[in-house]
Order: sequence, then C-alpha cells, then structure tokens
Amino acid sequence: MRFALILLLVLTTGIAQAQKIDADLLRIKQRMDSVQQFTARVILDLDVPFIKMPTKTAQIKYAKGKKMEFSSHDFVMLPKRGLDFSLNEIFKYPFITVDRGTETRHGKLLKVINVIPTDNRSDLALATLYMDTRVSRVVESEINTRKNGTYNLLMQYAPGSSVLPANVEATFAIERLKIPLNFMGKDTKIDRKQMRGMETKTGKIKMRFENYIVKLG
Amino acid sequence: MRALLRAEMLKLIKQSKTYYALAAILVIELLIFITAYYQGTTILDLLLDNLKQSFYFEGTLLNGNLIMYIVLNSLWFNVPLILMIVTSGLVTDEYKDGTLQTVMLQAVKKWKFILAKYIMAVLFTVTVIALMMLTTFILAYSIFGKGDLVVYINTLNFFKSADAFRRICWAFASGTVAMVFYSVASITLAILIKDSAKTWIAAALFLIITNLLLKVDLGISALNAYFFPKLIDTWQQLFYFETNWLAIGLNNAVLLLYCLALTVAGTYLFNKKDIG
Repeated sequence: MRFALILLLVLTTGIAQAQKIDADLLRIKQRMDSVQQFTARVILDLDVPFIKMPTKTAQIKYAKGKKMEFSSHDFVMLPKRGLDFSLNEIFKYPFITVDRGTETRHGKLLKVINVIPTDNRSDLALATLYMDTRVSRVVESEINTRKNGTYNLLMQYAPGSSVLPANVEATFAIERLKIPLNFMGKDTKIDRKQMRGMETKTGKIKMRFENYIVKLG
Repeated sequence: MRALLRAEMLKLIKQSKTYYALAAILVIELLIFITAYYQGTTILDLLLDNLKQSFYFEGTLLNGNLIMYIVLNSLWFNVPLILMIVTSGLVTDEYKDGTLQTVMLQAVKKWKFILAKYIMAVLFTVTVIALMMLTTFILAYSIFGKGDLVVYINTLNFFKSADAFRRICWAFASGTVAMVFYSVASITLAILIKDSAKTWIAAALFLIITNLLLKVDLGISALNAYFFPKLIDTWQQLFYFETNWLAIGLNNAVLLLYCLALTVAGTYLFNKKDIG
C-alpha cells in the first residue's frame, strides 16, 4: 500500500512537471507572435543529390493567420517545412515540454527542450528545440512529424535584436524521383543499383533573407 | 559550279517530295504541341510528385522552353529519317529518271556535279532545321510563354529561362551538324546503291544502327569518344548542368570532318563509277 502511494506520488509529480510549458519557449513564442506581417526577398540554394538548380530568388509575404505567399520571375521550390518562423505548426495543438538541459553548439550555450504534442490531430510527433535564451531565439530544431518525415532547421540571425532569421538551412529526407520513361533524355543511363541506393536521400535548402520589412504588433 | 547549284536548287524546289518532307516535320511539331498542351501538366506532375511532398512550387515548367526541348528530341530519329529520304532522292532520282546520262552528255565534270548535290543537301538540311527552329520558337513562345526549363539527364536539371533559350539555340546549331552528317551519309549511300527504295532502307538501317551504337561500349576509349555514332548526341550535352563547351566544340568539329570524309569518298566513288 505504501509502495503504491509512493509510486502515485512520483508519477503525478512527474506529469505535473512535464506538463509545464517551458518559460523560455513561451517568451520566444510571445516574441514571434509580435510579428504581424513581413515581406522579404529570399535567395534560395537547393542542395539535393539528384537535382541541379541555379540560385533562385523569390519574394515572400507573411501575414499573421494567413498562408505565406510567394512570387518569383523564375520557377522556385520553397520548402514546405522551414518557413514556419512563428512556430505556428508546433503551437497549433496542445503540447508539453521536457527540459533536456543545455548543449554547446557553434560556440553557443543553448537550452534544449523537447516538445511533445498531446493532441492526436497534431502532425508533430516530437520536436527538439535548441534555444538561445539570452536573446530569446530558436537557433536549431529537429522536427519529427507523423506524415511528413523528419527535418532539421538551422537558423542564423543578423547581429542585433532581429526577431526573424537572416539565414535558414533546412535539411530533410527526400524520396528518389520516379521519372516517366518518355521524359528521359536519350543520354540518360539507368543504373538500377544506384537508383535503389537513392530510395531516400537527404536534401538541404539554404535560404538567405534580405530586405525584411517587418510590422510588429 | 554556280549553274549546277542553281539547277539543283530548282530541282529541289520543283519536286513535291520536298514539301511533303517539310509538311511531315510540321506535323511532328504540331503533334508535340497538342500532346504537350493536353498531357504536359500530367507528365510534369508525375515527374515532380515526390518533390511536391517537400516543396511548394512557384511558376510553371510547362512553357515554351520545355516544348522546344521536346521538339529538339525529334532530332534523334524522325527528322534525320525525313532528311535522308529527301536528300538521297537528289541522286537516286537522277538514276531512276535517266537524267544523269543527259547531264553527263553536257560539259559537266562528274565531281562538280556530285559536289553540287552534296552542297545542296547541306543547304536543304540547314534550311529545314532553321525553319523547324523558327516555327517552334514562334508557336512555343506564343502558346506556352517563357519559363525555366527542366530536363532529366541523370539528374533533374533546371535552367533559368534566358539560359535555357541560349542552350536551346546552341542545341539547334549542334543538332544541325548531326543532321548534315546524316544527309551527307545518305547522298553517299545513294551513290553506292543507286536505287531509291533500297537507299531508303539502307538510310533507315544506318540511322537505327547509329542510334544503337550510341549506347554500346566499344571497348576502346578513342572509339567511344570519336566514333561517329558517339557524336550524334552532342546537342544533348548542352543540357548537362555543367556544360563542357570544349568537348561540344570538338565533337562537332570531328563530326564535320566525318562529313568531309564522306563527301570526298562519295565524290571519288561517283567519279570512278560508270554512269549507267
């Protein structure tokens, strides 16, 4: 009986601690929420083993509560994950955070937390956020989703107190291409061994943001 | 020589075969346009399906540049076959109609006569490709507009619109050299075979074997690099992401040397052969 009581006490204390949302994350979220809208020029460099693409530029327009808009004179590919600076996807459904301590990355001491959604509707399975609590910014994140795989984000900020990143590097898993035979150039060599090895590859997209016009609330 | 060239041009303009050939090339173009218009989006969707899971796309890839690239692909078989049929006719028709003997009764040197045929075949080929390029440009841009080009050659290569246009122009130029080679080869075959139907079969066989040999590893690096079947796809190299201009220039120069060698050989054989 006494053992059962101790176990219950330990479990409830643990749950109570886990369900508390990290204060630093809330501060960052509050800071992000202050961004009502922004426009910027984004310079994209795609690094995927089976895609060769020159550097592209696009104009992005964000307004709170709306879908991000893009425009470009060229054909551009923008990552579906990696432009969610406001962390809306993470905050969309209820979640809990777990403190994972600190870690030094790129010479910075970062606070590491796990974000675990508590609602089954969320596509997010687990997010690990690396936060620079001194300046209230998320510097790195590893996002595991239920349907859309895993992706990592590395964010760099311009010196100062800017809310939005100047550089974002998104790393993601990407399935190999299924090319219709009639689209292949005659010079194309089909190496089945190589193709099997290319089932899933890691892709990377580097985004450099310029000419930010930010409207804070 | 000028009079001979004028006479050859007149023959080419007068014969209905020339217009059938031009019409056939335009029909091929139109079929490509119709297919692209109705099925282009579906094919591109299928091609980019995996990427759509990770990316938002802005802009369209079904544009004039893609259509021009697809039209360029008719340089593999359709266009050379038509060109070989028409150009071989420049010689075989003379044998068939018995006009060769009549011409040779005049004060015409045999080598000059056959050289005029070769020159006319080259001029006709260049004109056909130029016409094909012009009609494609006008139709493709007016119907589908400009845009970035996507090509799959081992990797999915994207080119910006202006760069794509430049590459397509160079590809047409390089493709013209390959087509000239086929035309010159067909004249040489016509000199050897004389009969038109047999020459057409031989020309088609030559085209098929050349296309097959393109993929075959010949074991010797020099043969793999400079044997003529390995050079006919040079225009395709303009759509590699990293373009080796030197290799493209060299390949075309070697292919032109093959043309020259075939012309010399054909002229020599014609000169040596009995007219009858």
